[in-house]
Amino acid sequence: MQLLVNALIAGSLAALIAGGLAVVYGVLGVFNLALGQLALIGGYTTWWLYQVLHLPLGLSIILGLACGALVTWVTFEIAVRPFFKHHRFLPLVTTIAWSMILDGLILLVFEERPRSILPGLKHIYEFSGIRISLEQGLLILATLVILLSFAYVFHRTSLGRRIRAVVQHEHAALSLGVPAGLLHGFLFVLSGVFAAAGGIFIGIDQSLTPTLAFPLTIKAYAAIIAGGKGNLWGAILFAYVIALLEQLLVGVHWFGAFYVPAGYQQTVALLFIIVILLIKPAGFFGNSSRTA
Amino acid sequence: MTFLLHVIAITAMSAPHILGYNLILGKGKILHFGPLGTSIIASYVTFLVTMTFSNYFLGLLAGLVAVVAVSSLFAWISFRMEPDGFGVMSIAMHLSFLAVVLNWHSVTRGALGIPRVPRFPFLETPADFALFAVVIVVLWIAFLWVLDRGSYGRKLAALSEQEWQAKSLGIDRRTVHWVAFVVVGLGALLTNIQFHQYIFLVHPNDFNFAYLIFMIMVVVAGKPGSIFGCVLSLILLSFLREGIRFLPLDADVLGPLRLIIFGVILLGVVYWRRDVLFPKPRSI
Repeated sequence: MQLLVNALIAGSLAALIAGGLAVVYGVLGVFNLALGQLALIGGYTTWWLYQVLHLPLGLSIILGLACGALVTWVTFEIAVRPFFKHHRFLPLVTTIAWSMILDGLILLVFEERPRSILPGLKHIYEFSGIRISLEQGLLILATLVILLSFAYVFHRTSLGRRIRAVVQHEHAALSLGVPAGLLHGFLFVLSGVFAAAGGIFIGIDQSLTPTLAFPLTIKAYAAIIAGGKGNLWGAILFAYVIALLEQLLVGVHWFGAFYVPAGYQQTVALLFIIVILLIKPAGFFGNSSRTA
Repeated sequence: MTFLLHVIAITAMSAPHILGYNLILGKGKILHFGPLGTSIIASYVTFLVTMTFSNYFLGLLAGLVAVVAVSSLFAWISFRMEPDGFGVMSIAMHLSFLAVVLNWHSVTRGALGIPRVPRFPFLETPADFALFAVVIVVLWIAFLWVLDRGSYGRKLAALSEQEWQAKSLGIDRRTVHWVAFVVVGLGALLTNIQFHQYIFLVHPNDFNFAYLIFMIMVVVAGKPGSIFGCVLSLILLSFLREGIRFLPLDADVLGPLRLIIFGVILLGVVYWRRDVLFPKPRSI
């Protein structure tokens, strides 16, 4: 049971990041490989505001999210917008380059050592043998609220209808007066805000290190690909599935004989996803397209 | 003089892998971002077998078999997935191989790496390495030139430009792409058997993401698909990479600065070469 709760915590973090990205992929058709760095920028900025400038935690989080939004907008303007209309694969390369630049800046400004927004002991609660901290409970709750709000906007408001129209047929939506270009930027920045929120959660629950960026990105994209690219709910579901797999792998005493070292956690989950994709290449909820 | 020989050796050693990668990314437009995954397998298998059995030939044979197997795995995954999905999952494969190397301490020594890698008897000084590497790279360029200019090169280019039309003309995508993946693997083997002998060590840090960026940068800057363009950009960028270390800065600053400089260069060259890297499909 504890493993399930751990999976819920880790999955909530991944779902938050993967959910925003799935919509971006659905609208723009591009992958943003600088995503992990955007998450870390949100987390590190909050750490700096709270721990160094001693601003109140709430204000630090809001400013951390704002900083994440700003850097995501810069990412869109520099590494995505000039390229994605030309060919949708170009941002895959340019966002790798941008991620290196952000990596370098993070190392220069925040250094390599781990940074925790709330260092020290957490308030741990125990219910029928399950241990969970207040911060982790809030993380699960906040993810639920954010994703449900997003789902409401997506399916029940005029803004959501416009977004879905752009996803279905961009040119038809444009001809009906939907500002597709503006929505592209808005959704991209929104995905960056979700990522920044994920980075802040990491900084509160554990600690931030520059090496977290790429595994975070790859895990989010593994969820998106496994769920069916552009499918919001598929991405969210597989974010939780991957987290559960990771927890089961290292938490179970296999055959009563051995534990798998924690270093393999990420590897086996990714390999499992690759195996799934070999069986179902378009992902679980995706439409397969024919190739030559 | 020693520095010059060192740069020549390093440049010539890295050329087989990067030029092979040019065939797949530059010419074939296949979004393969896991070439270092193949390098990891090539290096560890070759040197572990060589050191265990004290036999170079056996080590090279094992490395060759491993490289063909891993390249075939990458090729198979690429056939099953859409191009951009494969791009991301190839990075995942690279990270997975790296995680195995870092955690399988009993075999790979984890983050400590494998020290005292045995050298070929005729490789002792930087001059020996530079000469050997130049001979190897000249032969490799000749091989790639024949591939590029022959019917194979035309098939690969046709598939990258109009996959369906190429297929309708009888070009077998699977065979052509599989060969491209194996060529990258062979290039990785040639590069790594020299490089690790040169530095006397096989270490996980040699397969980090910064080097993948360097490879992509060389291919894009040298004009994707062009062998001699890539050779030229490799020479220039290698001098830049090795020259940066002489900047009067702390190591804590130099590492991140190198990331930023290379990131900016890659972004710039992709913008400059965007029409060649992924051209808009031609139509009648």
